[in-house]
Amino acid sequence: MTSSAANSVMIEARGVEKWYANGYHALRGVNLSVRQGEVVVIMGPSGSGKSTFIRTFNALEDFQKGSIVVDGMPLSNDLRNIDAIRREVGMVFQQFNLFPHLTVLENLTLAPTLVRKRSKVEVEREALELLERVNIREQAHKYPGQLSGGQQQRVAIARSLCMEPRVMLFDEPTSALDPEMVQEVLEVMQELAREGMTMVVVTHEVRFARQVAHRIVLMADGLVVEEAPPEQFFNNPQHERSRQFLSQIA
Amino acid sequence: MTSTPQAPLARLRRELFATPLDGLITLGLVGFLLAVAAALLRWVFFQAEWAVIQANTTLFAVGRYPIEQQWRLWLLTTLLAAATGLSWGLLRGPSRRWPVNDQLAAGILIVLAVVGSWALKLAPAIQLRWCGIAALMLAVRWAAGRWGHTWPMGLRRLVPLIWPLLYLLGMVLISGGLGLMQVPPSEWGGLLLTLLEASFAILLCFPLGILLALGRRSDLPLLRWGSVVYIEFIRGAPLITLLFLGQNILGFLLPGGLAPDRVWRAAWVLTFFAAAYVAEAVRSGLAALPAGQLEAARSLGLPMHQALIHVVLPQALRIALPATVGQFITLLQDTTLLSLIGLLDLLGTARTVMANPEFLGKNAEVYLVLAVLFWCCCAALGLGSRALESRLNPLTTAKA
Amino acid sequence: MPSPAVTPWWRNRRLMPWLVQGITGLVVLVVVAFLVGNLVRNLTNAGLLLSWSWLHNPAGFDLSETLLPYNAALPYWRALLAGLVNTLRVVAAGLVGATVLGTLIGVSAFSSNGLLRRLGRAYVELIRNIPLLLQLVFWYFVVFLALPGGEQAIQLPGLVLAKSGLYLGRPELVNGVWQGQLRLTVEFGALLTGLVIYTAAFIAEVVRGGVASVPAGQWEAARSLGLTPLQTLQRIVLPQALRVIVPGLNSQYISLAKNSSLAVACGYTDLYSVAETTLNQTGRAVEVVLILLGSYLVIDLLISAVMNGVNAWVQIKER
Repeated sequence: MTSSAANSVMIEARGVEKWYANGYHALRGVNLSVRQGEVVVIMGPSGSGKSTFIRTFNALEDFQKGSIVVDGMPLSNDLRNIDAIRREVGMVFQQFNLFPHLTVLENLTLAPTLVRKRSKVEVEREALELLERVNIREQAHKYPGQLSGGQQQRVAIARSLCMEPRVMLFDEPTSALDPEMVQEVLEVMQELAREGMTMVVVTHEVRFARQVAHRIVLMADGLVVEEAPPEQFFNNPQHERSRQFLSQIA
Repeated sequence: MTSTPQAPLARLRRELFATPLDGLITLGLVGFLLAVAAALLRWVFFQAEWAVIQANTTLFAVGRYPIEQQWRLWLLTTLLAAATGLSWGLLRGPSRRWPVNDQLAAGILIVLAVVGSWALKLAPAIQLRWCGIAALMLAVRWAAGRWGHTWPMGLRRLVPLIWPLLYLLGMVLISGGLGLMQVPPSEWGGLLLTLLEASFAILLCFPLGILLALGRRSDLPLLRWGSVVYIEFIRGAPLITLLFLGQNILGFLLPGGLAPDRVWRAAWVLTFFAAAYVAEAVRSGLAALPAGQLEAARSLGLPMHQALIHVVLPQALRIALPATVGQFITLLQDTTLLSLIGLLDLLGTARTVMANPEFLGKNAEVYLVLAVLFWCCCAALGLGSRALESRLNPLTTAKA
Repeated sequence: MPSPAVTPWWRNRRLMPWLVQGITGLVVLVVVAFLVGNLVRNLTNAGLLLSWSWLHNPAGFDLSETLLPYNAALPYWRALLAGLVNTLRVVAAGLVGATVLGTLIGVSAFSSNGLLRRLGRAYVELIRNIPLLLQLVFWYFVVFLALPGGEQAIQLPGLVLAKSGLYLGRPELVNGVWQGQLRLTVEFGALLTGLVIYTAAFIAEVVRGGVASVPAGQWEAARSLGLTPLQTLQRIVLPQALRVIVPGLNSQYISLAKNSSLAVACGYTDLYSVAETTLNQTGRAVEVVLILLGSYLVIDLLISAVMNGVNAWVQIKER
């Protein structure tokens, strides 16, 4: 669980500020640096801007000030950059967002065949292997509507992995799941981390954060309040706001 | 101790005679219905003079289409029957016995072909042809149902393309070209013209409506306001005024007063008219789709046009299907307005037939037959739409 | 950190929308300019350039019926106005009739009587699948024009249906001809009947959908309080259903107003029919079409404004 200083920086966000159309200042100058292979968990009260922040990494959200560089590519107005960044960044949503009119297998193979223009046979083979890794291979020809929430989220993770991303973003991946299904998804995420995937995870799951994260980032009111390794953050928080937050979720 | 003969009686009792008031209403309605039915049947079989239909079947069917070229229409009809059977069979899939609705439809088809062509006093050769065409449709439907599911998925996905292709082929067969003699639009009439105008408008208004719906929801102000202005302008105008506009002003809009044939002018007006309504139906389909679907597609790296084609539109169109088909049915009915601008569609032909002194005053017979014809076509479209819906339903759309 | 390279314009996300709109706008402008240019040129050649002075010329044609005093020597604008009034007349009567009939049929879907329910359903399915124009010509040619005259006219309490017209109140038979104060032409009668019967089918569906949207719990609660089905409908369900019904009614009312333009098939001189005659006589296509479109647009806006007001009133009641 040590981050190597020699690893390249996957995501570099500096001074990111965002205002909504109604004038609300959602992000007030956020800085974050994520190295390759790191697992960064972002926590914070609702409305702190944590989801908004990670959604700026793949241009699902705009920002007005600051800069973001993903895997050496700056997030600018250049459509080619944005497309390239989206190919390298995978995202898993709270509501799964699987495509209900396609089978599980088709959900996985759609993007690689269309975007990376790979052969269907090859992609299908890889997709089935991925489904095997998330323990859901036998559901390959079912439709998402026939699966449980936990199964759907695992398919969503496999779908993102099928594009061979270099960074995975998780936006509260277990918040919409029934309690008994949370564990199966967290196990898959843990396995991913063990294999060295760079992950940025927004979650409330403290146990997962303690066990898997290299670094915890606490956000509140659109700013980063504290950044620390888990042992330090949970046992000895420096900031008043962190202590307040931890007392609420403990 | 309830024996089977009792149960339906008990249900009848409950449904119709639950309270004294209900009983009275039932008796009154039954009496009324019987009286109406008796009067109607008496009129149909004894008083009505059906010669007006029987003497003019060709006129009603194809207008003044040259007789020696009518084989082209027979060819088209046969191809259409086969294509319908194919789509129908593939839609229903394999089953030992056909669903009740299918059996009903098949029964009606047979009755129409056999009894209908006899009642219309068609020449025996023609009666045989109609029976043959009906038999072909049912045979293809059976074959497609039985073996269609063994075809590779790619082939099955291509089948809907038959319809636009058939449409193009039909246009050549009807109007001429490719070595066939030209038959000008002024000689098209009756059911041929009605179906032609309706199918042209239906085929073209669909993509146009989708574009308008996408424009309506676009972030770009020009596209959005342009779509809004178009849709609201069309929806505020009665169709007859737009047809009127098309017939009278179109000539002024083109250089030298050139204008396409009246038939095509009307077809384009119908298309632009229906597109606005289809746009509204597709728009509610798009609005019902959760935003997360587009986000997921984009975050996977899919460019906008691919996200729309593969993720958004397939789902939105499924949701919008009932309303859209409703618009198509309305479009079919709206073709009757062509008779008010002097075109000889089914209704227009009917009126010229009734202007003939020999058939003066036979309005009731003609209008009844037309009403039955339209009712059957529209009801069939409605049933087809419901069958399509239930077929697409297992692939339930994303829940918000 | 590397300085951002200059983004070429064809890949620039900020520029794209403006580019697309600019090109679209340009194309539309060019097409419109072309069409309008032709229009002006062709109209000038025909001596028909846009002007409104011809509206003051004498019309030279009669109207088969009109509420306002009118004769052939009066100017065109008087004829068009009379046509407009005729349209408003039949639309107003049609809205009332269709609403009443449509509500009755829509509500019949919830009757305890199975036959009544099925008849209501059959009515809707029958009427919806037959074109309105066909129904109108049927009512006019087959029913109303075939009404018997004189003594054999259909005499109902308060209403006499005869070949010469529909008489309300207490008409008298004078020398084989009916006379009465409130007389409607058979053309009006046929158009009104056709519009009412057709639109009622659609209003029935709107009402049915609205009532069905009220949760079953409301019915159960009312029943457990001892209310009869009719009372429940009236006092509990309908007020809540109205919230869903009113917007649906709005579009049906607008539809009826537009459908009234088919009056020409019944020989009723509504706005469209007068406009058509005017066009045939003057050749002033552009102006006539503008008048038509403008008038129907105003009628639609009026109906929508009133219905939005009703909508707001229906909402407030719930607060």
